[in-house]
Amino acid sequence: MDRREFIGRSAQLAALAAVIQKQSVFGSEPASPDLAVAKDGTPGGMVRRAVAELGGMGRFVKRGDVVVVKPNMSWDRLPEQGATTHPDVVREVVTLCFEAGARKVKVFDFTLNEARRCYKRTGIQKAAEEAGAEVQFVQDRKFKAVAFPMGEAIKSWEIYQDVLDADRLINVPAAKHHNVPEAGISLGIKNLMGLIGGNRGQFHRNFARKIVDLSTRVKPDLVVLDAYRMLIRNGPSGGNLSDVVLKKHVIAGTDPVAVDGYGASLFNLQPEKIPYLAEAKMRGLGENDLKKVVIKVIACTS
Amino acid sequence: MQTARRISQILFLLCFLGLFLLATYPLETGIPVDLFLHLSPLGQLTAVTAARAWFSGAIVSLVLLALTFILGRFFCGWICPLGTCVDASDNLLKAKSKNRSTSRGLNLPWLKYFLLVVVITAAVLSVQLAGYFDPISIVTRSTATVLYPLFVFAVEGVTGFLSSAPLLESTALKLDAFLRRFLLPVSSASFRGSILFAAVFFGILVLAFAQRRYWCRNLCPLGGMLGFSSKWRGYRRSVTDACTGCGLCEKKCRTGAINADFISTRHTECINCMDCQAVCPAGAVRFGFVKKPETASVDLSKRRLLGAGFTGFLALGLFKTGYQDPVRRGKAIRPPGSLPENAFLDRCVRCGECVRVCSTSGQGLQHAGLEAGWEGLASPVLLPPRGYCEYNCNLCGQVCPTGAIRNLSMPDKQITKMGTAHFDKTHCIPWYYGENCMVCEEHCPIPEKAIKFREERVKTIDGVENTVLLPYVVEDTCVGCGICAVRCPVEGDKGIFVTNAGEQRSS
Repeated sequence: MDRREFIGRSAQLAALAAVIQKQSVFGSEPASPDLAVAKDGTPGGMVRRAVAELGGMGRFVKRGDVVVVKPNMSWDRLPEQGATTHPDVVREVVTLCFEAGARKVKVFDFTLNEARRCYKRTGIQKAAEEAGAEVQFVQDRKFKAVAFPMGEAIKSWEIYQDVLDADRLINVPAAKHHNVPEAGISLGIKNLMGLIGGNRGQFHRNFARKIVDLSTRVKPDLVVLDAYRMLIRNGPSGGNLSDVVLKKHVIAGTDPVAVDGYGASLFNLQPEKIPYLAEAKMRGLGENDLKKVVIKVIACTS
Repeated sequence: MQTARRISQILFLLCFLGLFLLATYPLETGIPVDLFLHLSPLGQLTAVTAARAWFSGAIVSLVLLALTFILGRFFCGWICPLGTCVDASDNLLKAKSKNRSTSRGLNLPWLKYFLLVVVITAAVLSVQLAGYFDPISIVTRSTATVLYPLFVFAVEGVTGFLSSAPLLESTALKLDAFLRRFLLPVSSASFRGSILFAAVFFGILVLAFAQRRYWCRNLCPLGGMLGFSSKWRGYRRSVTDACTGCGLCEKKCRTGAINADFISTRHTECINCMDCQAVCPAGAVRFGFVKKPETASVDLSKRRLLGAGFTGFLALGLFKTGYQDPVRRGKAIRPPGSLPENAFLDRCVRCGECVRVCSTSGQGLQHAGLEAGWEGLASPVLLPPRGYCEYNCNLCGQVCPTGAIRNLSMPDKQITKMGTAHFDKTHCIPWYYGENCMVCEEHCPIPEKAIKFREERVKTIDGVENTVLLPYVVEDTCVGCGICAVRCPVEGDKGIFVTNAGEQRSS
């Protein structure tokens, strides 16, 4: 690090400290809410509004950053089947990153069906590439075993190199039903599993502790939850259009527990009663009681 | 002409490899990735004969056969990818045209006709043997299971080595990502039987130590078939009076088609390579149409013909009466849309095109060992937990060159039952350990789920009472794709397995 870089970094740190201090003293008022919920708009339009409400993408992405955007494109399903993130949501997030000055945006997922099918049929590859992102398939050799210092059930696991190297991580999950124990739904925190290697099926035993362990190691700078369509039955892959409802919501926030809590409420579930969110709250990762979260709901016209 | 022949060989080999690489998702309709398999009258017509059913793709091979009646074995010299590989190996290993050990009986041109009669007899009696000997089947299968995996291994080795150097790592990873777009698979697969198939393929190449084109002149039954069809060829080698009798042509002939007089030709053996024309110092060798060609003779005595017929019958009998194991048979899960078992085995030419295309998808199809009995050796079976059948994929039916796997529409394929999943309660986590797990249900691709749960009070393995969701299979809904077994987190023997119980096979 040369002198100029040192001064730059110090200034950034000072600014960051000031922001944190301000928030802890004055709460999130008047700067921005904890959660911005846009509804009744187009998928892309709602993303733009919700992120703007949080203070704009410039709050999360700095000029020259390398950003990883992690959608859910794990399944060989079409957008209307609701099993994967809406391509326009991903497109808009990538666009916002570049508008904020990102040097490079990478979009990928360690898929569960064959990768090319997932990338193509979800429509995400095309949308992200059109917005300028680099969309590559996951390469096995780029998983690196790393320690989880805060891990309880997991002390070490393989994480994808690009995530470890990135300046910023933006989690862009889809809201859907998922029979996973201690959750019942798949939202933002579950979506992080697409960034890890190893025997991922093992995660489903003692799920709450393990998924929270993962959240202590992989921390997105921003979560944009896509609830434009919600798969309400037969998740996580679905297939029947009758299991999908058009909910037209996008939730953005920096607190992964609050975002998932709000997502859970869209399924008429009480966030405090969902074991993994309770575990996450207990371990200080965020707030699962929506009454304690400042939420701004925006009705969109476009 | 010699140069033209070489260019043709290289182009057809590249074409073969290109079509091989294209046999993957997304298979654009209209690309005949199985073109070379359609060219082989041996594979195609024995499938027609054994199955007693015509399929339109076989017409391509009839065109080739008709051309052979006029032009002779041009396919062997100008097109056949295995022949080109043999030529390359002959050059590398400096094979001699003349058999150095004729006295020891290594020169056996009749043997290819013998094998041809064996294969045809078996086909007439309704057993398909062509797949084991047909050069196009061999080269397709070997490319899929041996050559391509070796190539991928080598390239990954190079990029892996580069990425271990600190400064080159990002470049190597970029190169890797670039190559994965068209040359390398997104995820590499392994293939059952690859060592055996490698032994066959490299064995054929190593025969260069005995003779040039050893396989083509002594063993290849397709060469035999095309040779027999060349008996009446009009386009043939002839020698003018300018011949000085130097004997260079006979010495250089790669198939031993030139007789000791240097003038007369064994037209059934000549593959139109044109070497004799190129080397003739007097310019005495011509290739062209002859007005009233004499019929050439085929090198198979009546005694051997009878022996071959008997061998074909013997093969049939042994296959049909060989040991059948009902439990093992249950593991013979066929690709979706496979014809009923007998018709399927009659049609399948063991080319491995379905195995290849599946290796770029769910990676479920492999060449059978003895699951389907001796008659089913090397035919395709779905082998979870090695791989599974991808729900939105019907590529195997699209690439099958003989219709052994029907080309099903996607909705039809998705409801075609290949088998049924069963829980192994001594391994399944909820059933054995008394703890929740739902990975099989999570991955079940059936929209309404073929794995469901019922909640029960059970004891955990430590004896503690626990409420747990016990999974069960809905037999009518399960199609037997096997993704549940692949994704089951239990290591080693899985908590769920698939058999072909309840499979739907129709023609």
